Amino acid sequence: MTSGSALDRAPIEVLLVEDSLGDVRLTREALHEANRAVHLHVAFDGVEAMDFLTRAGSNTRAPRPDLILLDLNLPRMDGREVLVQIKANESLRTIPTIILTTSDAEADIVKSYELQANCFLSKPVQLDAFESLVKSINDFWLTKVKLPQPVEGRLP
Amino acid sequence: MLSIEARYRGLLEAAPDSMVLVDANGQIVLSNHQAEKQFGYGRDELLGQPVKNIIPVGFAERLIADGTRGAAEALAQQIGTGIELAARRKDGIEFPIEIMLSPLQSGDGVLVVAAIRDISVRKAAEEHLSQMEARYRGLLEAAPDAIVVVNELGEIILLNVQAEKQFGYRRDELLGQQVRAIIPEGFAERLIADGTRTAAEALAQQIGTGIELSGRRKDGSEFPIEIMLSPLQSADGILVTAAIRDITERKLAERHLAQMESRYRGLLEAAPDAMLLMNTDGLIVLLNLQAEKQFGYRRDELAGRPLRTVIPEVWTIIADVKQRVAGALRSADNSQAQEIGAGIEFNGRRKDDTDFPIEVTLSILRTVEGVLVTVAIRDITTRKNAEARLLQTMQELNRSNEELGQFAYIASHDLQEPLRMVASYTQLLSKRYKGRLDADADEFIAFAVDGANRMQLLIQDLLAYSRIGTKGTPALLTSSESALERALVNLGGAVEDSGALVTHDSLPEVLADPRQLVQLFQNLVGNAIKYQGTGVPTIHVSCAQNAQAMWAFSVRDNGLGIDPKYFERIFGMFQRLHKREEFAGTGIGLAICKKIVERHGGVIGVESQLGQGSTFRFALPGAPAQ
Repeated sequence: MTSGSALDRAPIEVLLVEDSLGDVRLTREALHEANRAVHLHVAFDGVEAMDFLTRAGSNTRAPRPDLILLDLNLPRMDGREVLVQIKANESLRTIPTIILTTSDAEADIVKSYELQANCFLSKPVQLDAFESLVKSINDFWLTKVKLPQPVEGRLP
Repeated sequence: MLSIEARYRGLLEAAPDSMVLVDANGQIVLSNHQAEKQFGYGRDELLGQPVKNIIPVGFAERLIADGTRGAAEALAQQIGTGIELAARRKDGIEFPIEIMLSPLQSGDGVLVVAAIRDISVRKAAEEHLSQMEARYRGLLEAAPDAIVVVNELGEIILLNVQAEKQFGYRRDELLGQQVRAIIPEGFAERLIADGTRTAAEALAQQIGTGIELSGRRKDGSEFPIEIMLSPLQSADGILVTAAIRDITERKLAERHLAQMESRYRGLLEAAPDAMLLMNTDGLIVLLNLQAEKQFGYRRDELAGRPLRTVIPEVWTIIADVKQRVAGALRSADNSQAQEIGAGIEFNGRRKDDTDFPIEVTLSILRTVEGVLVTVAIRDITTRKNAEARLLQTMQELNRSNEELGQFAYIASHDLQEPLRMVASYTQLLSKRYKGRLDADADEFIAFAVDGANRMQLLIQDLLAYSRIGTKGTPALLTSSESALERALVNLGGAVEDSGALVTHDSLPEVLADPRQLVQLFQNLVGNAIKYQGTGVPTIHVSCAQNAQAMWAFSVRDNGLGIDPKYFERIFGMFQRLHKREEFAGTGIGLAICKKIVERHGGVIGVESQLGQGSTFRFALPGAPAQ
């Protein structure tokens, strides 16, 4: 049972897939403010993200994330392809995957939901709004939502 | 006496006619057997009878016995031939005779020998003839044309009443006159009398119909005639009957027709288009100057050639044209020219084998020579070039619109990305370090935060503006009243905070993009609330149909009002009339309104005076007519 409300519980593992260092820092700051129990992992492109999730290369000890924050426009392998691979993978597909991007183009929104994204969020320009959004993510996805326990036998 | 009698008796009996010998007293002294038989008397029964018994009138009076003439005179008078008299038979029946008198000196004085011929048969024939003549005369007079009969000498010997009327003469003024008097030229020359032709040739020439000549009236005026000649063999030689028709009317009609034709020909030549006339076999029968010019042929090079010489692709419509011609001929429409095809585009081919674009209009033309097809050909090179240029311009415009759309995406995404960094981190800086650095640092950070915020608003508004064109949906029948209500909901807080009183008439359905209509009302009502003095905003939205069958909306407020010199400027992009400190905003709102209204084919304007409120007016198309 995952729960992020108490400091003494196991840390909450969040994977942020984001190529902008500025955004990584902002998200880290905002998440830290919202929930000290969050343990943030960062992948700077789609390939790194899939390596982390499948524990490939140097990621043999990588934890299974409780939540994935995925940007769409990424180098090497973009967010859409990452989304396709996550949702095609039986053990990964139950991890809530949130699209967090600057785009608010209708086409991107539609495509993301078609590829089974759990929700689509646009990054607000204002810091206050961004902090508020991250807080909402924590309150909902990391606190209120009940998620299935990962099946141990199926863990990669 | 006996000797004389014996001498003449033989002669008398041998004569074929009746003969009587009469003395100066009018007594028959001798008669022959033919006379006794003719008059119904027995042998010698006539002797001693007065001649009046057999010839009651006109013979006895010629004898000397009247005592008024001398013997010589009487003698002269007694000589006569062909005197026609009436004779009386013994039974009283009378019959016509012709007598020939000759005096005879004898011992008993002057005797007169009368040879008497029964002319009953001849008279009957003559009477028949005169009946016939009367009948022919009737025919002659009944004829609609003037008829004159002319002899070999060119003299008029007979004419009818129409001839009198036409030429203005009385009959007796023309009889015996030269026919030249009424037909000065071309008729008399045809008669035999010129001596250069044989009788047969002349006869052949005298037969003629439709010879057009000039007639001359008694008053000297001339008029056009048509004569028809036919020779007539008669006892008096060859006569010529001339039927003369006054063709003044026909000539006038012909001249009118010729004028019309020359006028049409003038029109044809003056036409700006090339015109060809084609028969139903597809052969060119006539063409105008423009056709020569356009195709580079001389007229005679094209006449008789098939139309495909100049329009090679014309075969594609020939079957259709033939069908239409047949159809038009069957139809009740008898107008002279009937269009059977318009605006058909082809390539025309010049004599030098170069092609050029043409537009062809085909019409049926009914003429006396049968059905023809007029082919009006317009050189549309200029139009085609213009169309090509227009298409090119349209493509360029589309491309530039697409680029503008891409620019909007770049503005929304790629520009916002670094902007978000600037804004977020200056805000973070402000949040964490305000009051922990010196006063200058706080001020600098505040300017940076403000600048980033303004830039963000500008980019968002620019995006909203560009999306009106690129993100619009097709116009639907939309309730403008619902759109206004939706706009008021969207404005919610602003309406409540200001305590604005917004009223509206019953509003119609219009053809519009529903979301843009909401935005239009939202911007206009929002402005009316925003640009308010000290009072309570009072806003009224009304609508009426205008002369162009569009719905004319007005949004009236009691706000600050606008100086008329800014009426144009306020609809421009990022135009503001107030300091930022007074009223927030980038100045895009009315530019967006203008773009929305214009995209719907309408116009927007404002009426206002400073301090007296403003009325914004715009028109939108209504529901299409049923």
